[in-house]
Amino acid sequence: MTALPLRAPSAKENLRVLKGQRPQRVTLAPWMIMVLIGVVAFLGLGFARTSLDKSAFELDQLTRAIEEQGAINEQLRLEIARLENPARIAPLAEELGLVIPADTRQLLVDLGQGAAVASIDNESETQ
Amino acid sequence: MASGKATGRPSSGKVRVALIGLFLVAAWLGMAYRLVQVQVVQAADLADQGLSQRLVTRDLAPQRGKIFDRNGELLAMTVEAQSIWANPAQIEEPLWVAQQIGGLLGVDSESLYQRLTSNRDFVYLKRQVEPGLAEQITALEVRGLHAHPEATRIYPAGEVASHVTGFVDIDGNGLEGLEYVYDEELRGTPGKAVFERDLEGRIIPQGISDIVPAVPGTDLNTTVDLPLQYQSQQACLSAVERTQADSCWIVVLDVENGGILAMAGAPVFDPQTRKTVDATCDLEADPTCHSFSNFVVRNVYEPGSTQKLITVAAALEEGEVRTGTWIPQVADVLELREGACLDGDDDVYGCYQDFDKHDTADMTVADIFTRSSNVGTILIGEKLGEDRLKGYIEKFGLGSITGVDYSVEAPGFLNFEAGCETCWASAAIGYSVAATPLQMAAAYAAIGNDGVWTKPHIVASKTDVDGKEDVSGLETRRVVSEETARLMQELLANVVEEGTGQAAGIDGYRVGGKTGTANILSDDGLRYTEITRASFVGLAPIDDPKVVVAVLIDAPSFEYRTGGASAAPVFAEVMEQALHRLGVTPDADNG
Repeated sequence: MTALPLRAPSAKENLRVLKGQRPQRVTLAPWMIMVLIGVVAFLGLGFARTSLDKSAFELDQLTRAIEEQGAINEQLRLEIARLENPARIAPLAEELGLVIPADTRQLLVDLGQGAAVASIDNESETQ
Repeated sequence: MASGKATGRPSSGKVRVALIGLFLVAAWLGMAYRLVQVQVVQAADLADQGLSQRLVTRDLAPQRGKIFDRNGELLAMTVEAQSIWANPAQIEEPLWVAQQIGGLLGVDSESLYQRLTSNRDFVYLKRQVEPGLAEQITALEVRGLHAHPEATRIYPAGEVASHVTGFVDIDGNGLEGLEYVYDEELRGTPGKAVFERDLEGRIIPQGISDIVPAVPGTDLNTTVDLPLQYQSQQACLSAVERTQADSCWIVVLDVENGGILAMAGAPVFDPQTRKTVDATCDLEADPTCHSFSNFVVRNVYEPGSTQKLITVAAALEEGEVRTGTWIPQVADVLELREGACLDGDDDVYGCYQDFDKHDTADMTVADIFTRSSNVGTILIGEKLGEDRLKGYIEKFGLGSITGVDYSVEAPGFLNFEAGCETCWASAAIGYSVAATPLQMAAAYAAIGNDGVWTKPHIVASKTDVDGKEDVSGLETRRVVSEETARLMQELLANVVEEGTGQAAGIDGYRVGGKTGTANILSDDGLRYTEITRASFVGLAPIDDPKVVVAVLIDAPSFEYRTGGASAAPVFAEVMEQALHRLGVTPDADNG
């Protein structure tokens, strides 16, 4: 085998200079940027819309939660009012042995005359 | 080549292509036509149709305002409950369903079964049940059985404040008491919500939405003191039991501003169920035992001797007498029409007797008032004359409504018919005059307030979405001078210290008041019966009155027929509690 060509090529005899403008390469960058912007804008809008919807749903859920908690709060207020009803407390107090005192003693402090104390005994002294 | 030449007729292949082409063109044209029709010609109508399917309009019910006592304790409020309903057409086993839920709902199963087998598409099984109970019902997962939310009015104090709050019907319309008077303000303003929903009924977040929120009802802050209201009611219930009376009524007034601190009675009713809580009430035997009527405001009675306050105050004010003026020859019987005292059935007009027999004697005005002498009071009234007596009775507020903010107040009446020779005498001692317990309490409050009458009221202020509004602007008028009022206060104190009202005394406080015992007219109105209305109206502490308590006991047993025997002890019990509740310091020299 030989590495030499069988015939030596002619020295650039086929090369020639063409007249006219050199063909320009199409620049893709602006198109790509525009497409990119378009895609980003599309995705961004979609994301924004989704976020907005998500926020709206969350807001709706929060509103419902507030309403539910408000209803619970009202029920608790009602429960407190029922528990504080004198008609419930008085019999319970009686069961526990509590009674309205029949004999009371009230001390009236006359601030104008120093430590003078007047006592009022109702029926009898406090036991 | 023959096959390659044009023959003038298209080949079948070209025809097919042309036909397909035409078909496609026609199809496109058709679609274009339809597109234009839908998107241009019918666009607006179709858009409206679509929107109407998605749009939902709902009324937003406002929450009914709350009612509070003077310390902020709840007397009435509205909460969300559940109403159980059914579509009978969908109920497959009505008997089983009726048996399952009858016990839970507390409704007779037979009644439920009848409703579940009716021909209607919607029947209520029970309205406004507790949410927990509704959950139990819906957990049964019976087809055709449903629950929907519905507001319900709750009265946490139960029957204790029922004669103040009144009640609403099942649809939330005020029917009685404050609920009726302030119904429009309590119910608020409904709102409206318009929104778009998807196929599953969910709100479309970015869809059309227009909400006009409901404006909650106005809250009422009353002058009523709930513990005192309870004590008053208990005192009345005990009094009815002790005296075997038909009913008992109490009103407690703040002397200075006319605020009603308590307004209670027996029998009582539960505003929630709108039924009496009196187990002995047999509607067939006595239809009135189921009454919701508040006697304090709506019923009138002849006040009897409690009216003498006005007669004596008028005579003092006009200078006709002084407390020490001697009235000569006061007997225990006075016959103004000849022969009137001879016929027992004819004692309505012309014959007047003192409750206790006594010798004819000279008596001072103070003695007459302290011993509650009818004859002596008529003699004092005679000095005054009919016109002036009537004028003072009207000035003290009898015969016309007080203007209290409670439903359907009775004005009472004054019987001063032209030609009636004895009406003035009857009026001087509390007959021929009909008044409500509230009118009498307001008259005594005028004496306690140094001669200035003040319009009673229950609501002190209102709280709406814009804040609090004070509505207790006092309406006042002077009825007697301060001097006369002070004299009357002393006379009232004498009644409790020495006279007919000694059972009204309270340890630690100086009390003034007047007993009243008025016989009830027979049904035909021609004569008085032995049945009485016993009353006591009084003030304390008498040296600087803060509270008025009026007690009326209707038809007590004979043993308790007088105001001193039946009403005065109840007065003392309630007045003591009222003074404690208001933090009134005991009198230093009245131990």
